[in-house]
Amino acid sequence: MKKRIGVYICHCGGNISDYVDVAELGKMFHKEENIVVSKDVMFACADSNQKDMIADIQANQLDGIVVASCSPKLHLHTFRNVAIRAGLNPMNYVQVNVREQCSWPHSDKPREATVKAAGLIRAGINRVIHSESLDNIEVEIKKSVLVIGAGVSGMKAAIELANNGHEVFLIEKEFSVGGHVGQTGKVFMTGQDGRQIVDKLYQQIKSRNNITLFTGAVLEKVSGSLGNFQVEIKVKPRHLNAANVNQVKVDERMTFIVGSVLVATGFDHYQPKAGEYGYGQFPQVITLPEFNQLMDKSKGELMCQDKPVGSVAFIYCVGSRQTKGENKYCSRTCCNAAVHTSLQLKEKFGNIRAYHLFRDIRTYGKHEVMYEASCRQGDVYLKYEEKEMPLVSAEGKQLLVKVKDYLTAKKEIEIPVDMVVLVTGMVAREDSTRISEHLKIPIGNDKFFNEIHPKLKPVETVIKGVYIGGSCQGPRNISESVQSALSAAAKVNTLLSKDTISVDPVIARINPDACIWCGKCADVCDYTALKEVEAGGKRIAAVNKAVCTGCGICAPVCPENAIEVAQFTDKEIESMIDGFTTQFDIPERQQEAEESEQDAVTQMKEYPQVWKEILAGMTNEQNTIPQIAENSKLSKELVTWHLMTMNKYGIVQPARMDEKELYFYYKVKNH
Amino acid sequence: MARVNPDFVSELYKYGEKDFSACYNCGNCTAICSLSTAESSFPREMVRYTTLGLEDEIKSSLKPWQCYACGECTTDCPRQADPSELMMSLRRWLMAQYDWTGLSGLLYKSLPLSLVAFVLTLAGVLFYAMQHQFNLEHLMEVGHLFEMVAIGSVGVVILLPNIARMWYFTILKPGVKVSFVKYVKSLGELFVHMFTQKRALGCDDNQFRWFEHFILVLAYLSLLFTTVFLDWFSTESLFVHVLGYVLSGLVFIITVDFVRHRIQKKQAVTKNSQPSDWFFVVWLLLMGLTAFLVKFFQDMSWLESNKWLYIFHFTILVQWALIIVPFGKWTHFLYRSFAMYFEKLKG
Repeated sequence: MKKRIGVYICHCGGNISDYVDVAELGKMFHKEENIVVSKDVMFACADSNQKDMIADIQANQLDGIVVASCSPKLHLHTFRNVAIRAGLNPMNYVQVNVREQCSWPHSDKPREATVKAAGLIRAGINRVIHSESLDNIEVEIKKSVLVIGAGVSGMKAAIELANNGHEVFLIEKEFSVGGHVGQTGKVFMTGQDGRQIVDKLYQQIKSRNNITLFTGAVLEKVSGSLGNFQVEIKVKPRHLNAANVNQVKVDERMTFIVGSVLVATGFDHYQPKAGEYGYGQFPQVITLPEFNQLMDKSKGELMCQDKPVGSVAFIYCVGSRQTKGENKYCSRTCCNAAVHTSLQLKEKFGNIRAYHLFRDIRTYGKHEVMYEASCRQGDVYLKYEEKEMPLVSAEGKQLLVKVKDYLTAKKEIEIPVDMVVLVTGMVAREDSTRISEHLKIPIGNDKFFNEIHPKLKPVETVIKGVYIGGSCQGPRNISESVQSALSAAAKVNTLLSKDTISVDPVIARINPDACIWCGKCADVCDYTALKEVEAGGKRIAAVNKAVCTGCGICAPVCPENAIEVAQFTDKEIESMIDGFTTQFDIPERQQEAEESEQDAVTQMKEYPQVWKEILAGMTNEQNTIPQIAENSKLSKELVTWHLMTMNKYGIVQPARMDEKELYFYYKVKNH
Repeated sequence: MARVNPDFVSELYKYGEKDFSACYNCGNCTAICSLSTAESSFPREMVRYTTLGLEDEIKSSLKPWQCYACGECTTDCPRQADPSELMMSLRRWLMAQYDWTGLSGLLYKSLPLSLVAFVLTLAGVLFYAMQHQFNLEHLMEVGHLFEMVAIGSVGVVILLPNIARMWYFTILKPGVKVSFVKYVKSLGELFVHMFTQKRALGCDDNQFRWFEHFILVLAYLSLLFTTVFLDWFSTESLFVHVLGYVLSGLVFIITVDFVRHRIQKKQAVTKNSQPSDWFFVVWLLLMGLTAFLVKFFQDMSWLESNKWLYIFHFTILVQWALIIVPFGKWTHFLYRSFAMYFEKLKG
């Protein structure tokens, strides 16, 4: 129970005080017991007022403060800092929002706005009476990180983290590193070989003592939380040669402790369904990644089914942008990849004709130059629509692609080709659900991992200490993947560079006497913050302080009412409700003032001199403010101000607007 | 259902085309064109047909003839794909398709072959003149006769069948039903466009170019009439006398201006001159010039001692009548006006 409370009610320079009777409220709370200081101030957030508040707190030994001003989103931390500077625990500060919740929305009803503000302030005072002093929770951070996935993104992030002096565990499901890039030939724009890029990164990893790379390794179990994750991995045995191929080898299990986890598990190529554009039906129909590998392996002449290839049709958006199918998104990399392949095709094998059956060409950014080069080298582009998909059929030893070309007045076009290449998009890894179950990373409708906010928190997940980067977040090309992986690495680095991290103390608390461990709270918790523990000879729930976000979802489901959230205890909330419903006696001053002004106008025997001058200046039906000002020899500002009042009481009214000058024409309505 | 023909593009390159494959189908060319309409839009459509090699569609289309090469599409093309040049190349290709002899195509595609044709005709004239001991009187008589015979036979043997083929490709084969009355009623369109090129006035920048062309056409046709039917070289009438001088002078002056434009390459229409374009304007210029000089020398009684001048004029005349008129650019005079006529029939 606080006995020495300070209440500050802000005018916000008229934003609040124009409608809410701030002066009256200031006086009203002065009479209450427990309240030592009660003031109305012009700007509560002003430096001078902050200094006054600190002086008040220290001089009067205040144990709780309430500021009634704007939204806590704007100034909660401002006044918490005031409390800290005055030596008061910041949790004993309560902000009441009388601007966004009273003066702004109820500007038409000033008296009701004042009543509502009084109720809210009363609730705030009641809350601060019951508030507890709380300190931030300090969590120890282990100086190591687990990076999942050794593709370019994961490798690059691991190197970056190792360079910053952290212990890195890099695990890769396959037996070789490099992921998809490791299987790619030349890449745009540098023309480097994908394998060279991977090899370079691999050499860098090998040369760093603080990176431990496990290949053939998968995540088995994760427990713990921010700063202290216990990770268990399973390393598959490998059969490297004929000698040990028959030996029975068992999976090796390993555990280690890490402070943070960075997920860079990448993507899978979309695998066309049997019969999709003749895939699996005709051997000449293959996917773009398969075609790239075929090109890579071929020397001199491109062969398919022992026949030289003279023409290729690329069908775009296979497995992407399916308005009725699973993958509604655009995979964004495939147009570029297909156009790049088409350029490579000409460069390596000379005169092979390429037909591109696209839905929309999205060679964004610098890739546009490839598209132009492809057009100029004579590649033929035809546009199809999803509702009329191209048909692939056999014609002798060739394939025949039929397409309705939307660029040529929807004419049906037949294209005889030797090969059809399906430009497949990116899909989420098949085992991403397994990773998500271990780490609790949310998965979107598109099955890729979800960040908290695509723009403002692009690599953070709702699980503290777990970050995502690369194409496990959604389709992206190599440079975009590396960018996001590096920004995830930067976030991990920020986390690991401290010994401890402060976590907000607003979290759930268990009453061990009441708890009977039914498990309902653990079921609803999105963050797995609740665990069953043994305490005092019985099984109860325990909150992991580092993981709990204080969302409060567990409190209402508890049948024993054994959970409460700090700062939102039953006592506080109930007292706030009591406070808000208290009856107040507020004099109807403002409304009276309005009415008396109206009376004054209606009872006027004569208009004031200045109104007379303005009316005299309104020579015809249509007068603009500059004209009236000139006629009546008054300033434009004065005329504007008085016209508004006269308009309010129906003496003049705006007739119409001058479109060009944006002035209203005024006319005399009622003399 | 139409089948792509990737070889068509390389064929068209031989007719002067080079950049159109850069096109990314934005349609700016069609939007900017002052002659393109919602009912009959170009050049983007022709670009697509060319890209896909849809020869039948191109052959049945009159759109290449509806373009008068103001070059705005080329100026505004964001990919520098030069649609105006594509339309020109398509017109050359179409002329080759209409020509039943196939010689037009050969001459358009091959400069050496064209040069051989010009040399052979020169040799023919010289050989004939030699056989007749360079008898000026005889040669001038034969020259006059040749003009009449050439006009008649080229018209009947080459040009008429070619127009018929054009009609077949654009009207009959696509199955356009036209009543006889309409054929007659629409004839006005043919003659208006043949003698005025009225449609070219619709191009934004074209007024002076159109005026020059208009005067040239009238002067050329009148000169032809004056020499062939009024027998300018041996007339007694002072009017015909002066008329011939004025007309040949006009032809010469305007073609000099046309040649100047082709050298300066400032307009889209003159930027990429093909050999066929050069032959056309230069031979027209030489016709005007030599006709003027022959008559002048004759009037000054210098011609007897300068027989070479008449033989030169005669050679130009023969080359004009046997190469450029039936198989060269001259035919655009007919195809453009018939295209407008056929378009009227389709409408």
